[in-house]
Amino acid sequence: MLPDLLQRGFIELDLIQSLQVIALGFVGGVLSGFIGSGGAFFMTPGMMNLGIAGPVAVGSNITHKFGKAIIGSKKHGELGHVDRKLAVFMLITAAIGIRLAVWVMKLVSGSADTHGGHGVQGGPAADLYISAVFVSVLSVVSYTMLRDTLRGGNGAAAKPSRRLVEFLNSLRLRPLVHFPVADVKVSLWVVLVCGLLTGYLAGTIGVGGFIGVPAMIYVFGVSAQVAAGSELFLAIFMGAFGALNYGFEGMVDLRLVLLLYTGSLVGIHIGAYGTKVVKEVVIRFATGMIIALCVFSRLIAMVVYMRQLSVVSYDPAWDAYLNFTSKGILYASGASTAVVILWFVFRAYVQRRRIHASIATSRPMAPDGAMERKEA
Amino acid sequence: MVMQIVCVSRGTYGGGKELAQKLAQNLGIPCLSREEVTDAATRSGIPVGKVEMAVMRPRPLSEQLAVERDRFKAFVAATLAEKALSGGVVYHGRTGHLALPGVSRVLRIRAIMDAERRTALTMQRLNVSRAQAVRYNESVDEDRHRWARQLYNVDWDDPAHYDVVVSLDHIGIANAASALVAMAQLPEFRPTPACKKTLEDVLLAARCRLAVGDEPRTRRVDVRVRANGQRVFATYPPRDAAVEHAIVEVLERVEGVEAVQCTMASTNILWIEERFHPDGPVLGQILEIAAKWNAAVELLRLCPHGAGAPGDDEPESEPVSNAAEDAGILEDESIERASRSDCSKTDSGMTDTMSRLLQAGRAGERRTVCGDAPELLQGLDRTASCSLVVVGNVYLDRAESVRKRMTRELGAQIAESLRVPVIATNELEEQYLFGARHWIRLVGLGLLTASVFVLLFREQTAVLEFFSSRQLGHRVVATGILAVVVPLYALVYGTFTQYLLRLLKFE
Repeated sequence: MLPDLLQRGFIELDLIQSLQVIALGFVGGVLSGFIGSGGAFFMTPGMMNLGIAGPVAVGSNITHKFGKAIIGSKKHGELGHVDRKLAVFMLITAAIGIRLAVWVMKLVSGSADTHGGHGVQGGPAADLYISAVFVSVLSVVSYTMLRDTLRGGNGAAAKPSRRLVEFLNSLRLRPLVHFPVADVKVSLWVVLVCGLLTGYLAGTIGVGGFIGVPAMIYVFGVSAQVAAGSELFLAIFMGAFGALNYGFEGMVDLRLVLLLYTGSLVGIHIGAYGTKVVKEVVIRFATGMIIALCVFSRLIAMVVYMRQLSVVSYDPAWDAYLNFTSKGILYASGASTAVVILWFVFRAYVQRRRIHASIATSRPMAPDGAMERKEA
Repeated sequence: MVMQIVCVSRGTYGGGKELAQKLAQNLGIPCLSREEVTDAATRSGIPVGKVEMAVMRPRPLSEQLAVERDRFKAFVAATLAEKALSGGVVYHGRTGHLALPGVSRVLRIRAIMDAERRTALTMQRLNVSRAQAVRYNESVDEDRHRWARQLYNVDWDDPAHYDVVVSLDHIGIANAASALVAMAQLPEFRPTPACKKTLEDVLLAARCRLAVGDEPRTRRVDVRVRANGQRVFATYPPRDAAVEHAIVEVLERVEGVEAVQCTMASTNILWIEERFHPDGPVLGQILEIAAKWNAAVELLRLCPHGAGAPGDDEPESEPVSNAAEDAGILEDESIERASRSDCSKTDSGMTDTMSRLLQAGRAGERRTVCGDAPELLQGLDRTASCSLVVVGNVYLDRAESVRKRMTRELGAQIAESLRVPVIATNELEEQYLFGARHWIRLVGLGLLTASVFVLLFREQTAVLEFFSSRQLGHRVVATGILAVVVPLYALVYGTFTQYLLRLLKFE
């Protein structure tokens, strides 16, 4: 590959690396189907661990999300789970958020010196920025989920603090807007702020669902199905807008997009099946753990970026070990979660053939007094 | 005494409570409030307060609270059905009529009051300012709205759910009650034997559900119970498979249960026909889909109005009342009587079809609905997990074009009500199974996907150079190509994987 392309953040993709990207997509898809988020919290840092520049990882992921959201939204639309009005209102500020995120990304990418690593201009700075946002947002999400799960709390997804939710719920700042499909009335300002945050996060780390869906459920009071459907509909436009913005800046690697699709569009079906056969508390615990491990993996990678930017200093030979550890933790967490989900799915698939799925009993009674019983 | 069921849906300080009490007094039947039912449910061990708090705060219910919510619904249904069968009841609360699914002849009243007058009453009773009173009423209304949505998946405010909306601004409670008594005595609101039978089914199903919740081994099971006659149908999710025999034991012990059918299923497929053909291809197709989805198949036989011979006159079809008091009812009942007598005489292949489902381990509930779309929709449980509705051949005695139109309208109404896919039997293979046409498409899409891959990776350097070019013209074109190619590829490859998983029976 031409050195110029390598400088711009693209990498050589041999068979092994291609398979790794497909595996990232598969695990991301399984997690996406399992927990309802887009899986970007795993795929974005996973690609960065492969040596792909942060902006290219985010840009490729958001482009991949664009196409996936079209398919998912179509299904939800057929079921009447999409509140287009809600999605459009959030999109107004989400687009601003994405544009802002891309602008900040360009600023950060162009402002730092290069100190080896990928050889990408501003690479470590952009990578550090993306990782910092990732860690700060998702550490809160994982802490909340694990805390609620260990306490035996209610709720099927990560939720913000009770005080924050109650404060936002009590905000009845006029004008209030009624969303017919979701069947809720929400303050316009709250909707716009949530849209802005969702867009900014999607544009920065490729993760929008972790803000958008809980916001719709816990702040707006939308049902989980409509929240998921509406968020997917919103993701089409956010993904499209993000893809166009990043694409225009030359930060989308089409090879990565296609490789991610290869894995994710298969994994998502398996993950969705897993939700039928795994208890809710296990889903929440698994989600919280994998996010926590992804955060830990990024924290280690941040140390490397800080060294490259001369914020900290140590022997550069340690970079290889730290990168390896970061990558190992991420892959181990994703692979182990995917394996656990696959095991449950496989077990359920086999079990449904063995378990007596239908039992029928009727009077008159058998000689021992029990009802006559037939099992299928 | 006439068995009468009246449900008054009331808001805060809207006068509904007083109206219900006056109405009960005039009709000579007991009055029951939501508060009494809630207290009784709490005493019986159902954490109603927890469920209410969870519903009021906008968050999804946990699995356990969802089970408790279902127990509460069963408690309300059992209490109302018992009272109704004992001679009648006037219930006032939020959505009492929804607790009796499929029971017709219930007079559903919505009592409302002008917003300003309600605010004034709230200010007076709670001793608060106007702004606080407005906020209080709004939040209480929202809570009720959320409650109806969570428990019954309906819009509490939708007037279509009521027979009459009474505004107490311009009419006093006594006069309103008098007018409603006259309405309650109309033939449309006099329960018939069929209505009584449905009430008994609701009561039996509710008692079974409560029994499952009272038993420690099955307390946490998310089980759905329906009853038809003395036959009980229960479905439970795969994760509760370990206690399936305990579920059956509990149900068998409930008084009045003669037969139990218990099926493990993640979801349900509702199959609607006028006549079932157990040896036909449709059953095999539905079984294949049910096996993939781990679904139970519910059979619903629809006997449209006019399907029976006119002029039939069976004593058992008389309304549940003193005949002398109800002169003039008989001619209004004739259509229903004729339809029901024909419906009840024939089985139309339902028993044999159910036997086949039982053998395959996919048996759900079976029931017959005499009427058209309104009667069918009234009996549907909007909160049940249903993944697909299959509408077969109905309206068989109509002309071809009329039959198609009515079937299409029926499907549209069901889709709007349940928000699930509704398809005809001839669409099953195309949409959910794997046939010859799908092989061609699978191979074609696979080749297309592979071609795109090969092309991209062979020319990856050129492609990447183009997409990362600094020239403005290139950037604009590259962006346009991304906008078109990416979703198209997602669609092509997504369809390919969908067909592949369908081929592997993993969908």
